Amino acid sequence: MTNMTDKSIIQARNIEKIYSNGCHALKNVSLDINRGEVVVIIGPSGSGKSTFLRTLNQLESISDGSIHIDEVSLTDRKTNINKVREEVGMVFQSFNLFPHKTALGNVVLSPMKVKKKARTVAEQEGRELLKKVGLAERMNNYPSHLSGGQQQRVAIARALAMHPKIMLFDEPTSALDPEMVGEVLDVMKSLASDGMTMVVVTHEMGFAREVADRVVFMEDGELVFEESPERFFSSDNPRLQRFLGQVL
Amino acid sequence: MEKQPHLLLWKAVFVLIMIGLGFGIYAGSKSIDYTWRWERIPQYIINTEATTVRSPFDGSATIEKGNKLVVTSDYGDDPLVIEKFDNLLVSNGDLVFEGDPLVEVENWNIGPLTWGLVMTLQLSVVSLVFAVVIGLFAGLARISTNPALRYLSVTYIELIRGTPLLVQIFIFYFFIGTVLDLDRFTAGVAALSVFTGAYIAEIVRSGIQSISPGQMEAARSLGMNYVQAMVNVILPQAFKRTLPPMAGQFINLIKDSSLVSVISITDLTKAGREVVSSTFAPFEVWFAVALMYLVLTGALSWAIQRLEKRLSASD
Repeated sequence: MTNMTDKSIIQARNIEKIYSNGCHALKNVSLDINRGEVVVIIGPSGSGKSTFLRTLNQLESISDGSIHIDEVSLTDRKTNINKVREEVGMVFQSFNLFPHKTALGNVVLSPMKVKKKARTVAEQEGRELLKKVGLAERMNNYPSHLSGGQQQRVAIARALAMHPKIMLFDEPTSALDPEMVGEVLDVMKSLASDGMTMVVVTHEMGFAREVADRVVFMEDGELVFEESPERFFSSDNPRLQRFLGQVL
Repeated sequence: MEKQPHLLLWKAVFVLIMIGLGFGIYAGSKSIDYTWRWERIPQYIINTEATTVRSPFDGSATIEKGNKLVVTSDYGDDPLVIEKFDNLLVSNGDLVFEGDPLVEVENWNIGPLTWGLVMTLQLSVVSLVFAVVIGLFAGLARISTNPALRYLSVTYIELIRGTPLLVQIFIFYFFIGTVLDLDRFTAGVAALSVFTGAYIAEIVRSGIQSISPGQMEAARSLGMNYVQAMVNVILPQAFKRTLPPMAGQFINLIKDSSLVSVISITDLTKAGREVVSSTFAPFEVWFAVALMYLVLTGALSWAIQRLEKRLSASD
């Protein structure tokens, strides 16, 4: 057990989330994620998987339970959540790029404003990151002049610019046209092979099968089932079977 | 493209209506036997009336090359040298006596209407700066989660929007102005900026609320605190989106500034009233005053349109 906690970079224990309207979004969810691990969370819409992901950087507060990120408690009032968020990058379904900034401007904004890096340094790093996600040519384009896939890759570069230890992906390909899904998944795969700790909420079963170290199935706010991909997809858990039957 | 002939037709209709309106004004003034005296107006904008320079002593005038008039005194006074003038009234070698006119100099004096325009401009610019600051903070307070800030802001906005500006100006001048010992200009600026600030607060609020919540989430997820996210992400976008209603509000401010003439600030409107009483040419004066307001508001909306174009690079 001590060994386990040593390795876990994310420890979520007994998380409850009840909205003020009474909706019980998360029911006693516990999940430990190790350094360098890629965990994919799947489940029907409304199952609480996005809510759970968003509790990990406190975009969503929790009603009960505890979350530790790299041994820092998120429920401790003394914790500076902004410091934690510097370590936890997030990629959104709807990209959420800053429309008034160019691709490079999006990437350098937070390093400059939060980490107080000099513009030249931040831009140097930003160019490297954009090159890494295959957008060296598009650096000075505004988001409105980029395709969905390109925007999402900029969003990934923007999150990486803070040198996070963990990357959270909230349905990163769901808003994309089918032909653009591949380019984003490729970037995520290369990130995984670089050893990034990743938590990915997605409907891309292929990605889960291919890249995940562990696959988690959530339904009705509960964490139903977690397994390695091979065992996960061959499992005979009836709730999982029913869901897989619907999506595959 | 096949609509082209119709477009031309309607443009012609527009021109005809405008000509009709102009003729209506002309005919209207004819019917009341009004004599237009436009020539009386320019001197109240810029006064170019010539002043005559007279000789201070008896002597003789010489005109040196380079059009320089030198008057040497018969009694040993220092010679008078005039280098710049518009009309020469003596010729070379003339004897002049004390009090004789020598030259005419055209003075460019700024007339009362221009002073009024300058005052209106000062009032508007100073009030605008304060109004934007007040409006920004009131707008932010309006969407704050802190009830004290929110209620304060709502009270302020409702109070100001629910009472006439003219009444507010009187309250600022006669009550607050007396209590705090404010001069007219300060009282006027305070009334105008507090009034306009309430409207700007609502514009700011709607602008911020029109930005997708995902923008704030993205900024916060990158480690920015609330203020950093507001300043770097939300407000620049809201600013761009609120420019058209802001422009309207700024133009309103310039026009509303005419109301401070009731507390004896000599702005463009009060200057207009004064000029009317000395020229007895009310039609001309008020048309001129309206035109001068139009120049101000027109320049402002032109400037804001330019700004909008520049900011549209990211669209």
